[in-house]
Amino acid sequence: MARRSRPSGRPPGGRGRPRRTLWLGLGLFTVLLLLLCSISGAWWLARWLTGGAEEAGPANPAPTWPPDSPVLSVAVSPVMLPTLQELAAAFNAQELTAPDGQTLQIQVRPLVPETMVTRALEAPSFQALVPDSSIWLDLLDRQWAQRHAPPGNTNALAALIPPRRVAAHVRFAVSPLVIAAWEDVAQELGWPQQPVSWSTVQRKAVEDPTFRWSHPSTQHAAGLLATLAEFYAGAGLTRGLDETLATQPHVLDYVRTIEATVQFYGESEDVLVQRLAEEGTQIVDAFVAQEQTVIAWNRRQPQRRLVALYPAEGTLWVDHPLALLELGAEDESPVTDNQRRAFQAFSQFLTQPDTQRRLLERGYRPTHPDLALDEPGSPFVDTDTVDPRQPATALQIPPASVVEVVRNVWWYTKRPTNVFLVVDTSDSMSGDKLDATRQALRAFVDQIRGPRDRVGLVDFGSGVKRVVPLQPMDERGRANLFPVIDSLEADGYTALVDGVMAAYQALQDANDPEAINAIVVMTDGQENNSRYDMGDLARAMQAGRIPVLIFTIGFGDDADEVLLRQMAELGRGQFRWASEADLQQLYRIISTYF
Amino acid sequence: MTRTRLIFVAIVAVALLIVAVSLVWRAATGNPADAGLTVERPEEITVRVLVALPVEPWVRAAAERFNRSGPTVEGAAVQVEVIAMDGLVALGKWDRNDFGALSANVDPQELQPEERARLADFPTAWIPDSRYLVELANVPYKERLGRDVFLTDGTYRARPIAISLFTWGIYESRARVLLERFGEIRWRTIHDAAVAPGGWPDLGGDPAWGFFKLAVPDPRKNVGGLAAMIAAAGEYYGRTDISVEDVTDPEFQQWLGELMGAVTNISGGSAYTAEDFALFGYSVGDGGQLLESDLLQNMQGIVTHWEEPLLLFYPEFVTWFDFPFSIWMGPETTALEKNAALAFQRYLLSQEEQKAALAFGLRPANPEVSVTATEDSLFVRWADRGVEPVVPRTTAMRPPGRDVLLTLLRWYELNVVR
Repeated sequence: MARRSRPSGRPPGGRGRPRRTLWLGLGLFTVLLLLLCSISGAWWLARWLTGGAEEAGPANPAPTWPPDSPVLSVAVSPVMLPTLQELAAAFNAQELTAPDGQTLQIQVRPLVPETMVTRALEAPSFQALVPDSSIWLDLLDRQWAQRHAPPGNTNALAALIPPRRVAAHVRFAVSPLVIAAWEDVAQELGWPQQPVSWSTVQRKAVEDPTFRWSHPSTQHAAGLLATLAEFYAGAGLTRGLDETLATQPHVLDYVRTIEATVQFYGESEDVLVQRLAEEGTQIVDAFVAQEQTVIAWNRRQPQRRLVALYPAEGTLWVDHPLALLELGAEDESPVTDNQRRAFQAFSQFLTQPDTQRRLLERGYRPTHPDLALDEPGSPFVDTDTVDPRQPATALQIPPASVVEVVRNVWWYTKRPTNVFLVVDTSDSMSGDKLDATRQALRAFVDQIRGPRDRVGLVDFGSGVKRVVPLQPMDERGRANLFPVIDSLEADGYTALVDGVMAAYQALQDANDPEAINAIVVMTDGQENNSRYDMGDLARAMQAGRIPVLIFTIGFGDDADEVLLRQMAELGRGQFRWASEADLQQLYRIISTYF
Repeated sequence: MTRTRLIFVAIVAVALLIVAVSLVWRAATGNPADAGLTVERPEEITVRVLVALPVEPWVRAAAERFNRSGPTVEGAAVQVEVIAMDGLVALGKWDRNDFGALSANVDPQELQPEERARLADFPTAWIPDSRYLVELANVPYKERLGRDVFLTDGTYRARPIAISLFTWGIYESRARVLLERFGEIRWRTIHDAAVAPGGWPDLGGDPAWGFFKLAVPDPRKNVGGLAAMIAAAGEYYGRTDISVEDVTDPEFQQWLGELMGAVTNISGGSAYTAEDFALFGYSVGDGGQLLESDLLQNMQGIVTHWEEPLLLFYPEFVTWFDFPFSIWMGPETTALEKNAALAFQRYLLSQEEQKAALAFGLRPANPEVSVTATEDSLFVRWADRGVEPVVPRTTAMRPPGRDVLLTLLRWYELNVVR
């Protein structure tokens, strides 16, 4: 009652002043609030422009992801990509959740193992990797330790236990490295009565000029491990390969003799297998691959069987690790808790019995302790093309320092290469296309590193414009080639066949049968101005003394696919499409064949 | 009166302004009270535990059970996060201060928000393979901070959570030949087998077996490799205490070099060496001195894939691993986190979890649990392969000193790796 009557008790004449005072007070309060808001706003703006800008990422070139990201990005070797894509999809379909409710996800992306190592050293955009062998993890850790070893006392504990880039890893499938040969070829080599060795293959290649075998470049485990096995065979050892032994003249001579018989190098075995399926099995008689490749081929193409030959001197294992990186150095985004959970969950998924059975069905040897190779439905049962009891001897995987030496020395032992780059510089190539071409050619030349390798160049428009003879890939040779590449200009029609013919003739004139002789030809258009035709080229190639491989690249949608395919077939090479975006990468890939 | 009211409103307004400006100032400059290390009580805390590889599968499984049980400490929900890391690798990280422990002159209450954020991933606890690694980890912090960061007594002391020891694991067919030739399995036997110029035929074995192949982990990446070298030195000299003089003796180094030359995989790709037996069989090793739990865990895989199990032999000079649960005692983690870690430590030592460890081939640290306490104990399952519930009378190697460890690592780097 008293409160209700209080306002009405005020004298009427005095009501106006207190109200004004109240309004004045409220006004003052409002002004202060506005002032406060302004100060707060200014502070938040300043913070956004500094700290906020860093979080946004554009100022920071290193890849970033949210601090609670549940997506684990995994770089996968091409040979395991189809399998892992399928398994990652099955994992993602489970929709496992992290404690914060987000769904754990695996994203896979293809990457050549050697490139994985290079990228993993520099703020990578992936947090985990599946190279085809643990040997890459050793190389990665070694290179990381060299970069980040603490300065000072080399006898200190911190120096002797080097920092590592690989936080954890798990192996989910293994497969021994074998020489995969067609059944009839394997019988010629002595299978199944006699053991087959690296020397057997080399002897066969020397005695029979029609025998063709290959192994991938050392960018892939199969190529690297095959090279290591050759060094072991050359040293007459199964263990203890060191830097001194790997550089002994008799060892290098042995490896050089074997490598001299290699038809070509190239990408991982999955690409070769695809070519065998598309172009026919006559491309090659034997090749180095993991045992799983043999099983997978025989399942899909039973008309001509492959046989896994386990080298008598011993072999190495391809062990497919899934590894988590230790990120967070300098400006890198660290691996999030959720990404660690995703790694853990995916590791468990890959090693659980159901997944392991799927891997066994695909021809991999499972790592689960309860799964035997001879269980019902196993591809190792009822076949003589693979032997689950083999290999009897594993070669010792040398330390990463020795592996690096072998990779470097391999350039001196590999079969030398003479390759002509035949480049379309017709009018349609002007602008961005020519810029992309220049970059791609430079990348190709950079990749060819053998001291006995040589590269030449032919550019064509309405006719052959210029023929740069084969240049050794030393400093001087590169210095001769780079200005030519930079000075390429687009004009005229497209005398494609004439360009190839000029390169072919130059290779015949070089008369170097010990080398891989090859032409890499690129065009964006249709043949319309050559003096020669494909018939002339075919006749010349039949008559030529030096066999020449031809790789053809169709640059853009208007390239003459039919003609380019014919050329590639004639030269036992390959045809590939390219765009401006991937031309450089394609030239890099083709360079691995030499 | 009116004037009084005006003054009153003005005072209130000024007070509000002071409070507001003060709030903005504190937010802008970083108020120690917000540091979170001691003041704020979070609703949920995460205990990060670095775990040595041999016990990681068991500890991870236990952590999942612990997390599912909805544990709380002083009202805060607790979640345990397990991070697998070899003891030696973790030691290297502690030594380099990779985790970012604060300097002695830094007041944790005065950290900026971004500095506090960097400590978010700091390990709460560490379970290395052996207590000597804890002692080695304490050394640089003692120099830097003047105190230990892992305690050896008191409530928060490092406590063993399981035990294992190094034993010989050799394929039965190979072991028979070695026993016939040498009468016993020991480092000298293995050395003589390793240096046999003709390999197995010289020892009376099958020529198809090639040379004798020894399985030992890379000592730079796996503390088991270091333990094997220490044990070999113990047997070589016939004593448990190994000095720098011992490991620098040229004769011993030559002997050790010949022994290590028989190791097949020195790439370090494999952390679990017994797993290599299961995956790659005879091709990578005829036998080796490995952790008992590692051998037992992989025995089934070896039998499944290669049809011949390993036989276990206990050496005369034994190296024990006791996996001490060690709680970080620096200001980088809160008292609440330390107590939560302690709760997890107690959980691991509970009878139920100690029994669960038997399925991983680990010997319980809790004396109330025997190695044959459960049906799925690997000690029961593989009793006929030579595994002994009670370790025969042997001599325990003393933990190596820091200098011995450094000398051996240096020798390995120079003579084996390079």
